[in-house]
Amino acid sequence: MYRSCLLAFSSAVAMFAAAPLQAQEYPVDTVTLVTHSSPGGGSDVFLRELSRYLGPILGATVVVENVTGGSGATAMANLAQSPADGSRLYATTPTFIYTSLLSNPEYSFDDLDPLVNFFIDPEVIFTAASSPYETLEDVIQHARDGRGRWGAANPASLERQSLELLKAETGVNAAVVTHEGGGDLMINVLNGTLEIGVGEIQELKGQLEAGEIRLLASLTSDRIEAYPDVPTVQEAGYDVFVRKFRGLAGPQGLPDDVIAAWERAVPEVLALQEYKAIYEANSLRAEFMPNEEYQAFITEFATETEEFLRSTGVIE
Amino acid sequence: MDTILASLPYLLEPSILIAAMIGVTWGILGGAMPGISPSITMALLLPFTYTMEPTAAIVLLASTYIGAEYGGSVPAILIRTPGTNAAAATVLDGYEMNKQGKAGLALGISLYSGFIGSMIGLALLMLLSKPLAGVALAFTPPAYFALGILGLSVIATLSGDSLVKGLIAALLGLMVATVGTDPVTGSNRFTFGSSDLLGGIEPVMIMVGLFAMSELLAQASKRDDINKIRSRPKIEFPGRHLAKRLIRPQLLGAGIGSFEGVMPGAGGTIASFMSYNEARRWSSKPDEFGKGSPEGIAAPETANNAVAETALVPLLSFGIPGSNSTAILLGGFLIHGLQPGPMLFQRSADVISGLYAGLFVAIVGMVVMGLAMLPICIWMVNRPRPYLNAFILALILSGIYSIHGSLFDVGIMLTAGLVGFFMRILRFPFLPTVLGLVLGYLVESNFRRSLVLSGDDYTVFTNDWISLGLLTVAALFIAGSIIKRAAAAWRRDERAAFSEGSEG
Amino acid sequence: MITRDAVGGLAAIGLGACYLYFASQMRASSLADSFGPQGMPLVYGWLMLGLGVVLVLQWLVATSRSSSETRQAAHADAWRGQGRKILRAGGLFGLAAAYLPIVQTLGYLPSMALLTFAVALYLGAPLTWRPVAIGIGGAIVLWLIFVQLLGVPMPRGILSAFGL
Repeated sequence: MYRSCLLAFSSAVAMFAAAPLQAQEYPVDTVTLVTHSSPGGGSDVFLRELSRYLGPILGATVVVENVTGGSGATAMANLAQSPADGSRLYATTPTFIYTSLLSNPEYSFDDLDPLVNFFIDPEVIFTAASSPYETLEDVIQHARDGRGRWGAANPASLERQSLELLKAETGVNAAVVTHEGGGDLMINVLNGTLEIGVGEIQELKGQLEAGEIRLLASLTSDRIEAYPDVPTVQEAGYDVFVRKFRGLAGPQGLPDDVIAAWERAVPEVLALQEYKAIYEANSLRAEFMPNEEYQAFITEFATETEEFLRSTGVIE
Repeated sequence: MDTILASLPYLLEPSILIAAMIGVTWGILGGAMPGISPSITMALLLPFTYTMEPTAAIVLLASTYIGAEYGGSVPAILIRTPGTNAAAATVLDGYEMNKQGKAGLALGISLYSGFIGSMIGLALLMLLSKPLAGVALAFTPPAYFALGILGLSVIATLSGDSLVKGLIAALLGLMVATVGTDPVTGSNRFTFGSSDLLGGIEPVMIMVGLFAMSELLAQASKRDDINKIRSRPKIEFPGRHLAKRLIRPQLLGAGIGSFEGVMPGAGGTIASFMSYNEARRWSSKPDEFGKGSPEGIAAPETANNAVAETALVPLLSFGIPGSNSTAILLGGFLIHGLQPGPMLFQRSADVISGLYAGLFVAIVGMVVMGLAMLPICIWMVNRPRPYLNAFILALILSGIYSIHGSLFDVGIMLTAGLVGFFMRILRFPFLPTVLGLVLGYLVESNFRRSLVLSGDDYTVFTNDWISLGLLTVAALFIAGSIIKRAAAAWRRDERAAFSEGSEG
Repeated sequence: MITRDAVGGLAAIGLGACYLYFASQMRASSLADSFGPQGMPLVYGWLMLGLGVVLVLQWLVATSRSSSETRQAAHADAWRGQGRKILRAGGLFGLAAAYLPIVQTLGYLPSMALLTFAVALYLGAPLTWRPVAIGIGGAIVLWLIFVQLLGVPMPRGILSAFGL
C-alpha cells in the first residue's frame, strides 16, 4: 500500500543521487530495502535516513519499502521469494530471529542470507531520576532483599532476554514485566511502578535530555562513547551483554559482485561526516561486519537465542 | 494565554495554512474510505514531509489525523460502515437517521459536534498540557485494567433485550482479540500456523464485516421490500432547540474524549462507546437512542474528535505515542530532527506554536471541506440500490485489502460478514462483539501485567486508588443495569431496550 | 420446536467447546506468568459454554410453559421465509467470495468491473447498458482512488503488461 510513498520517496532519493558523481555501478539500478517496521517506526526512520546517503555511494537508487505484518514473517516470506540479484534486501534486526524461532513461519531467517552489518544499537538500563537507585548494584540489592520490578518493552525480545539473563546471573527475585512498546514502558518507569527498564538510547533521548531518567548501566561490551560515565553491566560484575544489530540480508545465493559492492559501500557510508553526525547523535555504534563475519555472527546469535528460548521453555 | 498569543502570528503563515488545509482534506478522504485507518492515511503522506519545512510537515500530519477522525463518521452514517474504528458508535443512530431520510441533518450534527470536540480538545491541549500529562503518568497497569473493565461494563446496556445474548456476543469479540501474539510470553495463540494471524486480527476487518458486509447480505436477502426513503443532498445544522439539547451529550463526549485521548493506549473507540453510553444514561429521551437520536451522534463524534487533539499531550510532553497514528506523527518529528519530550517546548517552541495554529486552521478547514464534500456523498448514496450496494461491496473489498495488501484479510472480513448475518437472524446484538474486540487485549495484558508486578497478589487492584475507583463505578453500572432488567422482567412490561443488529 | 435462542445457545456451546479445546492445547513456558497465555482463553471458553447452556435452559423453560398451539404458530412465524433469505444472501456472499480467486488471475481492474456488474445484476438491476457502464466506470473510479491516489499495490493480473 505504500507504493505512492515509495515512488515519491524514490524521486526524492534520485534527487540526492543525481548530485554527487556515480562512484561505481551497482549490478541493478534500484535497490529496495524492505523493513517490517511501519512508516515512522524506529527501523523505518533509520533506514530512510541511511538510504539518503547510501544511494550515491552504492551507485544505485535506494528506496525503502514497508512490508508489515506478522512481526516480520510477511517480510521474510516476501524476501525469500524475491530474485537474488541484490535488488531487494531485508533490513535485519533481532526481531527476525525471534519471529523465526517463536512462530515457525513458512519462511524464516534460515531462508535468507545475511549480507553485511551496519550498526549495533546500545541497550541501556535506566531508572527514573526521582528514584532512590544510583547504581545497578542498588537495584540488584533491592531485589535481593525483597522483590525487584524490572521492565522490558516487548514480550519476546532481546531486551527481555537481557533482563532474564541478568536475573539468572544475579540469582535475585525480580518480576520481569513486558509491555506493548517503549512508550508504555517509559510511563511505568517514570511513575515509579518499575525500578528499571531496558531500552535503546535512541528511544530514551527525549527523557534523558530533560533529566527525567538516569542511566545506570549499559548492556554493551564496552562503555558507550557518548556516555563515558555509564559503566557496563559486565563492569558491575555480571556477565551479561547484548548486541542489537542492524544489518541487511537477502534471498539465498546473492552474487559475489553484489556482496563486494556492499562490502565496499558500507564502510564509506559510515565514514561520511554528514551521516556520522546524525547517527552519533542517536548513539548508534557503527559496527561494520563484512559478509562472512556477519553470517557467522547471525548464526551464533540465532543459536544463543534458540538456546535461551528452549531453556526457558518458550519453544520446544 | 501566552500560548495563544504565541500561536497567533502563525495563523497568517501561508505554508501552515496550506499544509493544514491539504492535510485535513486528505484526512477526511482517507478516513471516509473503509479500511484506510487514520494512521495509514498519515503514513501515505509521510514521505512527502521529508523535503518540507518542519512546522509545515508536522501540521500536515496532525491535520490529516484530525480530518481522518472526522471522515470516519461519513460512511458510518451513509452506508453503515465505520470508516475508522472510532466511528463504530456513530453507526447506531447515524444510520438510523439516514434510513429516516435525515442524512443531511445527521451529517450536519456530526460535523458540528466534531468541530466542538476538536476545539475543546485543542483548548485543553494548549492550556492544560502539563496537568493532563500528569494524568497519563498516574495510570499504572491495574488502573488500565480497571479502565478496560469500565469500558466492558457498557455491554450491559448495549445488549438489547437479552443480557445473556449480549454477553455471548461480547465473548465472541474477546475471543477474537486473543488471536495473535501473547502479551506476556510472546508465543502464538490460535494462529494455527498461519503467519497472517501472527499480528492478530485488526478490529476494522471485523467491524466492516459485521456492519457493512452483513448489511449487504441482509439487504440481498429481502430484495422486495427495499426501503425507498431518500435524503435531500443538503447539509442541515441543528436548529436552536436541538442545538440546546445537544449541549449535554457534547460536553460528555468532549470530557470523556479528552480524558481517553490523554491516556496512551486507550484511544478513540473506547471514548466514543463510553460517551455514547453516558449520553444515553443522562439523556431526557433515552428511548430514542438506537432509533435515530441526534444525541447518539453528537456524543461519540464530539468524543473521537476531541481524542485527536488530546492524543498529542503524551506525544508532545513525553515523546510517547499512544496510538498508531501518533506513532506516525512521532516519526514525522524525528525525521526533522525534533525529539518530542519535555525539552521540545523549550527548544522548538516555534514548532509547537505553529502546530497549534495549524490545528486551529485545520479544524475550521474541516467544516469548510465537510460542507463542500458532503452533499456529493449524499447524492451518491441516493443512487438505485443495486448499483449502490454493488459499489459498496467493491469499496469494502478494496479497502480491507489495502490494510496489509492481503487477500487473507478480505477473507476474514467476509467471514465476519457471514457471522454478522447469522447473528442478525438469531437476534444477537453485535455492538458487544465490537467492544470485546477493542478492549480484549487492553484488559488481558494489563490484568496479567498487574499480577506479574504484584507477584500474583490480587489486592493490587484495590490498593491502587484509581483502579479501585474505576472498578467500583463499573460494578455500580453493572449492578444498576441488572437491577433495571430484573425489575422490568418482574413487571413483564415491554422494555424499550434497543438491540442493534437484530433484524428489524 | 426450535427457536432462535435455542440455535444461538447451541452455537455458543459448540464454539465455546472448540475454543476450549484449542486453549487447553497451549504449552506453558517458564517465561509465562502464573495466569499464563491460556488463562484468559480458558475463562472465556468456559463462560461461553456456560452462557450457551443458560440460553438453552431459558428456551427449555419457555417451551415447557407455552401451550402447543401457540408454539406451533410461533414456530411457523419465526422461521417463515428464512430459508429463502439465507439462500439469497448466500448468493451475494458467493459472488464476493468468488472475487478472491478471480482477482489473482484477472487483476484488480477487470475483476472489480466484473464484480460490480455481476452484483448489480444479482441485486435486481435490469440487463441494459447501465450495469455494464457502472461496472466499468465504478472499477475505474476505485482504481483511480486506491491504486493511483492512495498507491495501494492491488493484485495485478493479465493486464499487468499495460501497467494496470
